[in-house]
Amino acid sequence: MSFQRYIFILIIVVQTVLKANAQISPGELHKSHAHLEGASNCTQCHTIGNKVTREKCLDCHKEIKAKIDEGKGYHASAESKSKNCAACHNDHHGREFKIIKFDKKNFNHAKTGFVLKGEHAKQECTECHNSKRIKDPKLKKKTSTYLGLSQDCLSCHDDYHQGKLSSKCTECHNFDSWKNAERFDHSKTKFPLLGKHLKVACIDCHKVEVLNGKKVQKFTGLNFANCTPCHKDVHNNKFGQNCKQCHTEESFHFNKSMKAFDHDKTDFKLIGKHKLVDCKQCHKGELTAPLKHGRCNDCHKDYHKGEFVEKGKVTDCDRCHTNNGFTPSTYTIEQHNKSKFQLEGAHIATSCTACHKKDMKDWSFRNMGSRCVDCHKNEHKGFMDEKYIPNEECTACHTTKSWKEIKTFDHSKTGFKLEGEHAKTACAECHYRKDTEGRRLQEFKNKSKECSECHTDSHVGQFAVNGKTDCTRCHGFDRWENSKYNHNTSRFKIDGKHVGVKCEECHKPVMNEKGRYIEYKFDNIDCSKCHS
Amino acid sequence: MSKTAHRILITFYFAVIIFSIFMLINFGQSYYSTPISERFFHAQYQLLEPSGLIGHGLGIFGTLLIVFGMLIYIVRKRWKKVAEVGRLKYWLDFHIFLCTLGTVLVVFHTTFKFGGIISVGFWALVIVWVSGVIGRFIYVQIPRTIEGRELTLLELQNIKKTADNELFDKYGIDFSQISTGRISSIRLRHLSKLVSQKDIAKLKKLIRKQKILKNRIKRLELMHKLFNAWHIAHLPFSVIMIVIMVIHVGVVLFFGYKWIF
Repeated sequence: MSFQRYIFILIIVVQTVLKANAQISPGELHKSHAHLEGASNCTQCHTIGNKVTREKCLDCHKEIKAKIDEGKGYHASAESKSKNCAACHNDHHGREFKIIKFDKKNFNHAKTGFVLKGEHAKQECTECHNSKRIKDPKLKKKTSTYLGLSQDCLSCHDDYHQGKLSSKCTECHNFDSWKNAERFDHSKTKFPLLGKHLKVACIDCHKVEVLNGKKVQKFTGLNFANCTPCHKDVHNNKFGQNCKQCHTEESFHFNKSMKAFDHDKTDFKLIGKHKLVDCKQCHKGELTAPLKHGRCNDCHKDYHKGEFVEKGKVTDCDRCHTNNGFTPSTYTIEQHNKSKFQLEGAHIATSCTACHKKDMKDWSFRNMGSRCVDCHKNEHKGFMDEKYIPNEECTACHTTKSWKEIKTFDHSKTGFKLEGEHAKTACAECHYRKDTEGRRLQEFKNKSKECSECHTDSHVGQFAVNGKTDCTRCHGFDRWENSKYNHNTSRFKIDGKHVGVKCEECHKPVMNEKGRYIEYKFDNIDCSKCHS
Repeated sequence: MSKTAHRILITFYFAVIIFSIFMLINFGQSYYSTPISERFFHAQYQLLEPSGLIGHGLGIFGTLLIVFGMLIYIVRKRWKKVAEVGRLKYWLDFHIFLCTLGTVLVVFHTTFKFGGIISVGFWALVIVWVSGVIGRFIYVQIPRTIEGRELTLLELQNIKKTADNELFDKYGIDFSQISTGRISSIRLRHLSKLVSQKDIAKLKKLIRKQKILKNRIKRLELMHKLFNAWHIAHLPFSVIMIVIMVIHVGVVLFFGYKWIF
């Protein structure tokens, strides 16, 4: 080979080597690494004798190193930590090589330390990973970085509550929806929800207000010391402001303690027996349901079935009754005496029931008549001639004082004038008798006028004429002793020494088959009869 | 070595190269057809990338084949002690086989990524290989002795003259009147009544050989010039290729890419 040829070869080789100095790279670097192009920069990334090491990468990528050191982010995950950077972020594949490439759809975001749940999992990566949400000015400039985001909700989301609530949204919200604060536990607040409050829509208490020009639902600063900020005091402060004294959260219609409730503060004070009545007796439905209470009849049945009517209206019970019970009635005899039927005599002492509850079943105050027979039985019916009780009017003889007291009866109308002792004798002496069984039997009608009708003949028929003894031949209506007998009209005239002799000197009692009697009629009027 | 044995050997070389290409394409077609910026994400990246298990291996084996094929041929050609070992023609075939197979492996090692210093080396390799193919063509145009020594123009002319005389004396054919090397049997009979049926094939061969020789003598000057020029391409580019390869291997080892070691 000639010398010239060797020179030629040498020139080519030298030129090639010189040229190669700049082209030792196995391929173009990614555009982000473009500034590292050139043979003099190899060791910026490559470690002599040890390929490309993590340390070299992290020397430049301080933001990643900081995250790894903090133990945050995907690069601090076990999966990433064990790998060389170049295992995922290789280079020398051209300017447009996707140096950050991963399966976005199947990427397990949990490895970054931030699990994507609910709505987060449905979002495109760029919804969060965009420069708008990055605060770090250096990272903000990067076009496609996944760094720089904070896990604080408010770093991406607007604070709807405008700082009034915790900045940790997840304390109340889950990742599915803002609307339902599923994680919020109202029971842990100062106002645990009880009873009906649990069913109330949030908006009913937490109203929307406008704050800084934005509509915000108010969750703080609500006055809940008592109920009235939300509830209208339907009692107009009659019971004070502490609703809980009587009500529970279960219902306003439910009174938690009847003891605490002072019914006297209502328009209807409980007096007398009303105090003892169970609430439900009057408050059939809900305790707070309006109840008419102006009249007793609003609750009480008109026991008297409309018998007491005044000006076309049934009078209320309180006219006669008090709260202390329906008995006794406050109706007085004086009031009764203003009625059509004045109480007099024995009627005054008669119990009301005797007339107004005759059958002891129902009270009756109207259409009961005012005649004696409306209440009293005509005892004489059938026993006395009706002419003496005209129209069954008892008052013809009786007064209200006593049945026994006969007002005025002209007995002579009966054809039997009462004279002497007869006039003094009680009617019953003649007109009533007891039968063998002790029953009183009255005798008016067909009462004979014969003395023997009433009187027993103590003379055992000694003076009978034709079988009849007429007492009046000797006796008047005065006392029996006062006889009008004239002994001289008999067979034995009293004269001589006989005058002045006591009757019993001659008429001595005898005892024979007729009984014991004084012998007035002698068969033999001889002196020997008396004188020996 | 008989002609048949030589043909079998050539066929074998050819088959090995074709088979290697086929196998490599078959295995890595998907990877190699992937755009460079996407290859990193290909499933076979770890195997087939230039520093991958297979990719790096291809580079190493390809290089070793080229270096060995080159050295063995240079040694046979330049070192007088072994100048008698085997016909140079067969060594050349072996040189071409090893360097072509090496080139194939190196091409697949590059993963068809041609850039930077190594591309210069690669293109140098391509030039060397193509020039080798051209050189082989030029080489055969220069008549040689059985040992491979170039025949001088005088020697050639003597050979031609002997053959010309044989044609004329034996068959009465004036070779200068024959324009083409491929001559039909009818035309041969027409040219000479002395040609027996038995001699026709031999005569045909002789005429063809004579025609080739005639052309070669005619081109000998040109071929000699071309062959000189060829050496300028083939050898320097080989050197360039080797130098860059050494730099490449050096850089790679320097940064710690040691294949399986």
